[in-house]
Amino acid sequence: MHRLYTRSPIAKIMWGILSSLVGIIVLLMVLVSENPRMEAQTINWEGRSIENGAKMYADNCVICHGPDGQGILGRGPGLNSYYFFTDTGRLRDVGWVGSLEDYVLLTISAGRPSKVESQWPEVMPTWDGKFGGPMRGDQVVDLAKFVMNWEESALAQTPEEDPFQPFEDVIKPMEFQNTAHILLSEEEQAAALEEYRARNVRSPQEIWTGEACFACHNLEERQVDLYGQNGPNFADLYERAGTRVEGMTAEEYVYESIVSPKAHVVETYENAGQMPQNFAEKLSEDEIQALVAWLLNPDREQ
Amino acid sequence: MGLQENIREKGVLGAVAAQADDVFTRLTAGIDVGEFRRMMQGEPPGRPNPRLKPHSEGFLLHIKPTYYHESVTRFTHTYRLGLLSTYLFIVETITGILLMIWYAPSPERAYVDMILLLTNIPFGQFLRDMHRLGAEAMVAIVTLHMVRCYLTGSYKPPRQFTWFTGVLLLVMTLFLSFSGYLLPWDQLAFWAVTIGTSMAEAVPPAVVGETVNLLARGAPDIGANGLLRFYLLHVLFLPLLLILFFFVHYYKVVHFGISLPADEEEVGEDTANRVPADKRVYYLPDVLVDETSFLTVMTALLIVLTVFFFQAPLEHIANPQSTPLHTVAPWYFYWLQGLLKIADKFIAGVLLPGVLLVLLMAIPYLDYNPSRRGKDRKVAIVAGIVAGAVMIIWSWMGTPEYAVEGAPSVEIVQDVMPEEGSGLSREIGYKHLPLGVWRTDEEYDVHDHEFLELLHEFENSVDYYRRTDPDFNAPIGILTISQAQPSLKKLHWEITWFDAEGTPGNYEKSFWLHEDSLYWEQYGWKHLFLGQVADGWKSLSGALVGE
Repeated sequence: MHRLYTRSPIAKIMWGILSSLVGIIVLLMVLVSENPRMEAQTINWEGRSIENGAKMYADNCVICHGPDGQGILGRGPGLNSYYFFTDTGRLRDVGWVGSLEDYVLLTISAGRPSKVESQWPEVMPTWDGKFGGPMRGDQVVDLAKFVMNWEESALAQTPEEDPFQPFEDVIKPMEFQNTAHILLSEEEQAAALEEYRARNVRSPQEIWTGEACFACHNLEERQVDLYGQNGPNFADLYERAGTRVEGMTAEEYVYESIVSPKAHVVETYENAGQMPQNFAEKLSEDEIQALVAWLLNPDREQ
Repeated sequence: MGLQENIREKGVLGAVAAQADDVFTRLTAGIDVGEFRRMMQGEPPGRPNPRLKPHSEGFLLHIKPTYYHESVTRFTHTYRLGLLSTYLFIVETITGILLMIWYAPSPERAYVDMILLLTNIPFGQFLRDMHRLGAEAMVAIVTLHMVRCYLTGSYKPPRQFTWFTGVLLLVMTLFLSFSGYLLPWDQLAFWAVTIGTSMAEAVPPAVVGETVNLLARGAPDIGANGLLRFYLLHVLFLPLLLILFFFVHYYKVVHFGISLPADEEEVGEDTANRVPADKRVYYLPDVLVDETSFLTVMTALLIVLTVFFFQAPLEHIANPQSTPLHTVAPWYFYWLQGLLKIADKFIAGVLLPGVLLVLLMAIPYLDYNPSRRGKDRKVAIVAGIVAGAVMIIWSWMGTPEYAVEGAPSVEIVQDVMPEEGSGLSREIGYKHLPLGVWRTDEEYDVHDHEFLELLHEFENSVDYYRRTDPDFNAPIGILTISQAQPSLKKLHWEITWFDAEGTPGNYEKSFWLHEDSLYWEQYGWKHLFLGQVADGWKSLSGALVGE
């Protein structure tokens, strides 16, 4: 009878050596296949995430953003849209510096904070539990992945196919919002914008509040509230500006300080890097000129 | 002797050899190179036996007996099941500690950490699969160890207490395995543990049950606190307790010796510790070689099974708001789930398991038959077999096969595309699911065999419920496959029927499937065999059920 048990220590040692070899070989096989396996697993879990997101979308988002992300007029904007996905589209218009996925994630999580300047009658609600919404964090992540999965079809759209609906919360006029299709280069877009701004000049007061200058600068000598303590006080600007830099008039000095804030930093305000560096792009030439004149006017109206 | 003196006496080479021999002797706690060589060549030890030294001087071997009775070293007497249980515990400890590196026990992190482990950690999936397989193997091996001891009557005097601690170790193994169940924080884990802990709630009086439940879950429902508690139970409390009782158990094993085959001693006698000189098999080297080679073979087997044949499941992330259609306990608790289906929570979940456990621990004290010989123990052996059969029947009742039919329409969709796991639809995958509307009452001329198989299964499933359920007449199943997004298909299942009174019914359910999703075991080397195994299993179970 063949018995499982063998008394020979040599046979046992051979079995031991043989199985060690088998074990090592199998582990080496795993080693060489680990990279493709991890890759397959990575896209697998991305895919499953999108599947979960699709269910969340169907259960929660369809009623406003439409079954194919085409948007529903008067309820919610289209997401499966060239304007939404292209770099020169929505992200640039809202001034978002992060990625589109982050923007989507933020909007789903925290909703749209206000509908004051947008034409949509329905507010985008908050969805993440952290902001009082009904979803868990992982569900929001899955949902954002699903929305991002439209990228391929959105970027393949022609202007006629793009379900884009103009946004009223953007300073750009509607005819320039979806220009990614119409205009070829960024320069042309910039030129069009410049021309638009020339037609729609904002008053210095509007710029002062709209660009949030008041957050760091004060027009009054005394401290009104928490705002206006991070930057130099402008109460006596008309007196100081001309004396700050040799060979520079007050107008030149203020103008340069607006377009390149780091040029002449006032002592004890070394963190001038906090001031936005892009006012030259955000404001038109006329607006800056008016702003300079207003700031230097001792009897300026607020 | 000083080194210089040594060199003067033996020359440089001789001194180095003597030094090496010295180091070797220290490492082996008393075996010098010459003795080791004689041992390997199979020469008998001298007198007094120098090979006993490591047992008295070394820590690691002091717990091991110096020799065994020849009869108990036969593989077919113990099958090395106790040794294997201990070894699996060590494997679990090592893989478990490695897994702890990439795991944080919080609901926000746990599931994400699982996915990171699978996607970003080399050997991450291997570790997880091995830990899971090792845990389930440990439950099985510990149980088999108990069955072996029952069948050889090894619980009889003087080993009653050894058996008692063994039962405690079995319970701890079960709890250890079960407490690890929650840690991946997926649907499988969450609901199995929710049901498991809810049994504690049935302990009377109500205030005790609720308190026990609250202590286990850390809140009325399982959440962050419950996860942390199960984690601490799993990685700290239960292992420490198990180690303690393991040493109690093993001390008793060594103290009384492994029971001899029953035929080799008189009824009522225990001669395990009186081993005649010619029957002694010394631990060094014979048993050590035997145990080491056995464990090496088992390690290789465990690696091969892990790499080619086993995959630890990971379902959707735990969702307290949605109970899966068929929640299943781990297989070693199927019997309990089966009981819960036929009796109420208190009787099936608390009273019966409690009584069974007490009975199991009390076996040595209830069985007054002094003989360990099979032919004298017919009642005990038949009772054991009956108990085993009852356990298997209860376990079968615990599977979804038994008495948990939902509505036919729900079951049909669950057949072809379950909420969790793969199902045929996900198995054939994205590329075998052509866009279009597919009805069960029409024939299609499709060339895709895999898709035809799916349609066929859909039809069969609808037909099965039409034949068996009088409230499910003239049913039609409609599968609509559409492109939801680039590389994402939507599968919309719709079933319409008429009940016995002729009222129409309708059921719809949608699933999405991404091109890259792999629901089937297609990672690493598993695709080599697992596909075939699953096909084989399917045809086998089909043949058994007689479909």
